[in-house]
Amino acid sequence: MEYIKILTEHEKKKIEQKLNEQFGIKGIPGKIVMRGAERLSVFTGNADEKEIRKIEEIAPIEKAGVYFAKLINEDIKLTIEGTQILQEQIKKGIFEINDGQAEEWMMGRELNIKTGLRGFVVMKNRSDLLGCGKASENKITNFIPKSRRLKNRG
Amino acid sequence: MKTPELKPLLAERLKLLMPDKEDFNSFLEILKKPTQNSIRCNTLKISPEELKERLEKKGWKISQPFIEYKEIMIVDGKIANEKITDSHINNKHQSASAVPGASAKDSENKLQDLAPGELGRSLEHLLGYYYVQEIASMLPVLALKPKPGETILDLCAAPGSKTTQIASKMKNSGTLIANDVNLGRIRILVTNLERCGISNTIVTRNQGFMLCKKLKSQGFQFDKILLDAPCSGEGTLRSNKATYEMWNIQSVKNLSNIQKALIASAIDLLKKDGELVYSTCTHSPEENEEVLDFVLNKFKGIVNVEKINLPVKCRVGLTKWNAEQYNKDVEKACRIYPQDNDTEGFFVAKLRRIK
Repeated sequence: MEYIKILTEHEKKKIEQKLNEQFGIKGIPGKIVMRGAERLSVFTGNADEKEIRKIEEIAPIEKAGVYFAKLINEDIKLTIEGTQILQEQIKKGIFEINDGQAEEWMMGRELNIKTGLRGFVVMKNRSDLLGCGKASENKITNFIPKSRRLKNRG
Repeated sequence: MKTPELKPLLAERLKLLMPDKEDFNSFLEILKKPTQNSIRCNTLKISPEELKERLEKKGWKISQPFIEYKEIMIVDGKIANEKITDSHINNKHQSASAVPGASAKDSENKLQDLAPGELGRSLEHLLGYYYVQEIASMLPVLALKPKPGETILDLCAAPGSKTTQIASKMKNSGTLIANDVNLGRIRILVTNLERCGISNTIVTRNQGFMLCKKLKSQGFQFDKILLDAPCSGEGTLRSNKATYEMWNIQSVKNLSNIQKALIASAIDLLKKDGELVYSTCTHSPEENEEVLDFVLNKFKGIVNVEKINLPVKCRVGLTKWNAEQYNKDVEKACRIYPQDNDTEGFFVAKLRRIK
């Protein structure tokens, strides 16, 4: 089992800086924890690093905190939970979609629309934050995991 | 689907628990009826008011059975073939308060059952706004009363219904350690924690009593512990027909030993004044009162049983079963029978470490 990495303050700041550039996010409310090179989780519990390491010594840790973002090359893609947790802080890179488009989106389909945006965008329908898509000239690529997709129209 | 026959020994034992003939018959009758569609609003993501409004817009009829726990909801059905609008909901509420009987009857006439699996396929479920959970299964956490900032251990956590309920009461603060032994079940636990946006939790994989020993050796102590122990599942006869086939007296005895080992090791981790809620979804006294009796003897003067108030009808714990006499304090435990509240069956008890 791979050990979890708890990001240092310096490493966390770099992630926050990137999140600020992309979405206007100012800060992550907790420790950032990584397993592997890409997946970022936020842990809001009050156990400190020493305690987490002690737990890890005595039992395999399967998960700590909630998976909120993924590092992809130089960019960050937020998960559904990432967009929900950081909802209040997300100030830019938001693309609002209508109910019909949201339904298509939650079925895992890409949206063939021009957004005028490039790169990862936060998908929003009314008050629902629906994770990130990747906008290119004529479409938004979908990343909704299979387990979170709508099977039928509502 | 036809309700299977109870194995003769199980029927005999249940009859002893419910000696009143009428009571036992109503128990048998409710086993034939499917459980209610109950859900719990995930207050980390949405308020009960907002969720109720959204679900009503889908045409679902929602009731909130407990004033003090608005997050607990029952989906009574859905309104048939009708486009639901805001004005429909508003009118419905208005008329319900003006002429309750007429309005309720009117909407009941059009009410359909949800399709199988519909609760788990809705957008609101996929976004983690609610958790599909049987009402009786919510009671252990109501007894535990988790608070923000506490350090809590959920020893047998998968698939995560109670873990997510605890974390939401903790408002994602404090620290919650959620453990289970089975990797397959842990995967389901992890998926459920993700969907509900649980961020204060560390998931570990270990044998429950081994984890407790190791945590103790490292000096960990907890404000609260939930031990929702593996059990023979007699309380789940309504929803899990496999229990009819799987039940046997030997597994009741084996499980009782496992439960005793688990509870004894968990008590060692409680802080002074710390609380442990012990629960099972079974009726067998060997897995319930006998376990409490064991722990009251083993930790005499160190733990006691606390009285708990749950928002459902509870029967007191048994002090006598066959030839066994149990400590009188086990009466403070709650036996939840399906026919009393139209739920599954459960057993809930709360212990406090006094020394």
